[in-house]
Amino acid sequence: MRPLNRREFMKGSIGAAVTFAAFSQTAVRGANEKVIVGVMGLGGRGTQLAEKFAQRSDVEIAYLCDADTRRFARAREAVEEAQNKRVKLVQDFRKILDDGSVDVVINATPDHWHGLGTIMACQAGKDVYVEKPMAHNIWEGGKMIEAARKYKRVVQVGMQSRSAPYTKKAKEYIESGKMGDIHVVRVFNMMQHPKQKEVADQPVPEGFDYDMWCGPAPKLPYNPSRRWLNQWEYSCGPIPGDAVHQLDLARYLLNDIPCPKAVSHAGGVCSLKDRRETPDTQLALFDYGELTLMLEAALWTPYMKKTSADIRDSDRFPNWPFSSTKVEILGTEGFMYFGRHGGGWQAYDAQGELVRSEYGRQADKEHQDNFIECIRTRKKANADVEVGYQTVLLCHMANISYRVGNQRLEFDPQTQTFTNCDQANKYLKREYRAPWIVPETV
Amino acid sequence: MEISGVTFRQESTELAGPKIIIEYDVNDPNLSGTSPAYVFVRYSRDSGKTWRLVPMDCLQGNGFDIVERPGHKQIIGWGTEQTSFADVNQVKVRVRGVAMARVPAGKFFMKSLPGGGRDDSKEITPEPDLGLFYMARCETTVSMYAEYLNEVGGGAGWNPRMANIDRCGIVQNDDHTYSVEAGRGEYPITYVSWYDATNFLQWCGLRLPTEAEWEKALRGGIHLDGDETKKKPNPKPERRYPWGDESPNEGGVFRCNYDGEEDGLAYTAPVGSFSKFASPYGVCDLAGNVAEWTLDWYSTSYHAGLDGFRMVRGGSWMAVPAACDAITGATQLPLKESSIMGFRGVRGPRPLH
Repeated sequence: MRPLNRREFMKGSIGAAVTFAAFSQTAVRGANEKVIVGVMGLGGRGTQLAEKFAQRSDVEIAYLCDADTRRFARAREAVEEAQNKRVKLVQDFRKILDDGSVDVVINATPDHWHGLGTIMACQAGKDVYVEKPMAHNIWEGGKMIEAARKYKRVVQVGMQSRSAPYTKKAKEYIESGKMGDIHVVRVFNMMQHPKQKEVADQPVPEGFDYDMWCGPAPKLPYNPSRRWLNQWEYSCGPIPGDAVHQLDLARYLLNDIPCPKAVSHAGGVCSLKDRRETPDTQLALFDYGELTLMLEAALWTPYMKKTSADIRDSDRFPNWPFSSTKVEILGTEGFMYFGRHGGGWQAYDAQGELVRSEYGRQADKEHQDNFIECIRTRKKANADVEVGYQTVLLCHMANISYRVGNQRLEFDPQTQTFTNCDQANKYLKREYRAPWIVPETV
Repeated sequence: MEISGVTFRQESTELAGPKIIIEYDVNDPNLSGTSPAYVFVRYSRDSGKTWRLVPMDCLQGNGFDIVERPGHKQIIGWGTEQTSFADVNQVKVRVRGVAMARVPAGKFFMKSLPGGGRDDSKEITPEPDLGLFYMARCETTVSMYAEYLNEVGGGAGWNPRMANIDRCGIVQNDDHTYSVEAGRGEYPITYVSWYDATNFLQWCGLRLPTEAEWEKALRGGIHLDGDETKKKPNPKPERRYPWGDESPNEGGVFRCNYDGEEDGLAYTAPVGSFSKFASPYGVCDLAGNVAEWTLDWYSTSYHAGLDGFRMVRGGSWMAVPAACDAITGATQLPLKESSIMGFRGVRGPRPLH
């Protein structure tokens, strides 16, 4: 079969063209061979992941990719020093997909690129480590599952806390029944963000393929500020972008409870009135019948603190009342504080006596280990694409409730649609900008 | 900066206790008001075991802080606790100079967003104003940094990667002294964390530049002679690069040390190698060579827990040409030590934040 050239590739639908690459993909690597990785997105997190994976003896970073070439040097220096081997630098991630020697794509792009980037990588026969929140909308999350299953790809979502041993112990403790029946779980995400400054739009800087950066999203005028983090076209919002970790922990502790029957939401832009689109205050109730999951989140709470670096990897607990990223679990016979970031957990009995304490450690390494192991065994990863979907679904349900005026929305688990609000269903899927369209059939 | 003939003596005075007198010669004929030296004095009162910076505010004379003319210099220190000595035989004095560029007070065009635009404490104005400051003409070199390491001792500020002869070149000897690999002295120091940089500069009595100072030093003020006189308008006050608007490699001319070897350099270049393409004030290598730590924080409560990113400016020998411009910055955690990052010092007023 004659290989497709670039022009033909662009003419065909993205789905069909990349399928070809899946067949030309080499077989699964042997246990002693290095896993070859390409990294998409060289911001803070992408650079950090690239460096961490490069430090592994079982991984080689072959490509670093960013639409903005001005970002290459920071990541390249870190990676080349860690692995003592050169990397290729590309602006267009399709060059990674076209390279049959690449096994894995790490997708650490902004939210609006998570879905299509992952789907195209699956189509090209790559396993994927994709950052959270996994999908920019609910529909696209479903397509990510379809692509992963159809092309038999390992997809690990960057929700590393569920790979932590202390998290597993907490789950076992809850399952032991010592806390009785769990009816309420409170998830906190209380941060402090500055107001955005008004900055004029500017010409796109040299070396930056802004069209590629926008990808499936509309190409709004270029602005050098980071206001896109608060714009729906590119982001799920700063609260879901972080709270997704604790929501995922709560779901894990509750034995990966599937989707709720309904969501209600209160809040909006209450404090940071800087023309942002995404809310700075989000209180959401996820109705599972006899269980209610509450999200309490805000961006204007300076006294609430994330678990500090000196506590994260030590035998210490956060100051629970002012812990901004805790999960509280309320049972009929006991109560638990649980801390993200290796904060550990403490359980209390019906009298309020402390009965169990477990320190924790962060689990980036365990999560990466699990991913590499699954690449070899072809098992589902700890934060498999289905897990990522179920967790990001909560973020989108809360956001959609907000966007339709804080209405209570009922959700049908069969159709994955809202049953009592047509307007809400319009937010299930985004408008994709050609050629970056997620196809109906992946 | 060559400083020679350093002498030290302590004299008693009739009424005011002892005074110290330090004399030396600085012979650099290029010293001037626009390209002065920053001269600082460090002393030991225990035959060189421990060293301290002489506080400038207790000195008089023509040979310390900003020195604008070559020649014989005298510094007088009156008998404060720190600068009078019970046993003069144990006293050692070291006088060092750093070549500086004068950046006169006045408005300039700030095109980047300080702290990436996310730090609430900084105002973004299109024509900010800065007071007079002086910036080191060159990036801090391997030899300057090695002197610091040897004087401070104890292993602080050094890490084994600095021994990399292609990218840095300071080795630690068995007796915990430090040597500069042959030929590496005038290359920029690399593998320094933000803390290493600030510690070195405190040792000198300098500090890191703010992003605004860095950008003004690159582009020049709206008037290059400053707003007090306004006689010398900046021909390109909105320039993209220190030399103007041409790309670093336009027309086959290499104007700074960026990624790749087409500029003849695989790694860093000796500081000042591209002095023809210095900024309007004569500050070298703001574009390329090593990216430079600044004083500015990148306020990232969005990623709280990773709070404390610092801004790095200026591109490097590994950066694409477009990243060596006046506005592109990168964030780095302050503990990061990298072969593409160094720093330079500033003498100026306490920055307003």
